Amino acid sequence: MKNESTVIDVPAESSSAMKGSAPLIGVARDHTTSDSGGYKRGLSIFDFLLRLAAIIAASVAAGTMFTSDETLPFFTQFLQFEAGYDDLPTFQFFVIAMSMISGYLLLSLPFSVVTIVRPLATAPRLLLLVLDTAAMAFNMAAASSAAAIGYLAHNGNQNTNWLPICQQFGDFCQKTSGAVVSSFVSVVFFIMLVVLSGVALKRH
Amino acid sequence: MAKESTTIDIGEPSTVTKSTSHAVVDEKKKSFVTAAAGGGYKRGLTIFDFLLRLAAIGITIGASSVMFTAEETLPFFTQFLQFQAGYDDFPTFQFFVIAIAIVASYLVLSLPFSIVTIVRPLAVAPRLILLISDTVVLTLTTAAAAAAASIVYLAHNGNANTNWLPICQQFGDFCQTASTAVVAASISVVFFILLIVISAISLKRH
Repeated sequence: MKNESTVIDVPAESSSAMKGSAPLIGVARDHTTSDSGGYKRGLSIFDFLLRLAAIIAASVAAGTMFTSDETLPFFTQFLQFEAGYDDLPTFQFFVIAMSMISGYLLLSLPFSVVTIVRPLATAPRLLLLVLDTAAMAFNMAAASSAAAIGYLAHNGNQNTNWLPICQQFGDFCQKTSGAVVSSFVSVVFFIMLVVLSGVALKRH
Repeated sequence: MAKESTTIDIGEPSTVTKSTSHAVVDEKKKSFVTAAAGGGYKRGLTIFDFLLRLAAIGITIGASSVMFTAEETLPFFTQFLQFQAGYDDFPTFQFFVIAIAIVASYLVLSLPFSIVTIVRPLAVAPRLILLISDTVVLTLTTAAAAAAASIVYLAHNGNANTNWLPICQQFGDFCQTASTAVVAASISVVFFILLIVISAISLKRH
């Protein structure tokens, strides 16, 4: 290292260059890591609470549909006077689908806890987002197909000569309609969960 | 620049400046390269997103128009029963046509946002908007497809317990056309799920 000459010219330029560049890198690094952890943790806690609410909504829907039997007090030889969810394949699909959704939500609770504990990790959130989207589509399919059959049971269809059975089976219709409403509520919770995961994933 | 001394001095400070400036330039290059590399695969994802949207537009317009034109008139008639079948005989199919048409127009309107994400692969706001609105529209599409599917199932199989007769046995063409429309709408549901997953992957930090 041979420093023998004037000091003014070359070191002045290089030191100013070094001073100019280093702090920018330092400030940029400090800024990103400390801010986002706090609010993402808040989002994860809200996500966990939404999951609990969705579990309640989905299991209420499945349970109400499962226990929606009704037997009318009179009988003839010709028509059946019992109605239950297993008389309509769409309602069978509904019960099975809502039970699967409740089970999925229970199994996803640990992943939600992981995102609370480590708010900056993206892999659990991405996994939850993808699975939640698929589960939401499945939930919506069950809810809307049951809603279509429920609408038909309430109103019938003159063109196809399908009679509205709710006029005889009032209790059965009420319970199945309540179950369908509950599963639509769980769909709304799923939408909020997906949007939450999307917002929590984004960079700053 | 007053470099008046021996060549050794000029050589030595200039290597010092060279190393620091290299360090600065390398830092800049590294951050730029990561930006470009991140931009690179994200740009590929957004181009795939754009193509998926175009395909979904085609399929949803197809589904809606196929259901709209699904009519059949049987060649005989009596006084009692109607022997025409069309989509407007079923409120669920009416909902299907309108909902899938709304979904198709949403997809057309979302194409500019998709182009913005191609041009600026690191921008977060357009992707987040697309993710949220895609989720809502996925819900609408699934609702329409599933409701129409349950009515089509009923038309094919009937229900012995409620005395609902399977009408497909008379109206074969109408049933086939309606089933095709429902299948096309279900495929568009799969496309929407893919679009949401792509937006989520593009949003995440590295």
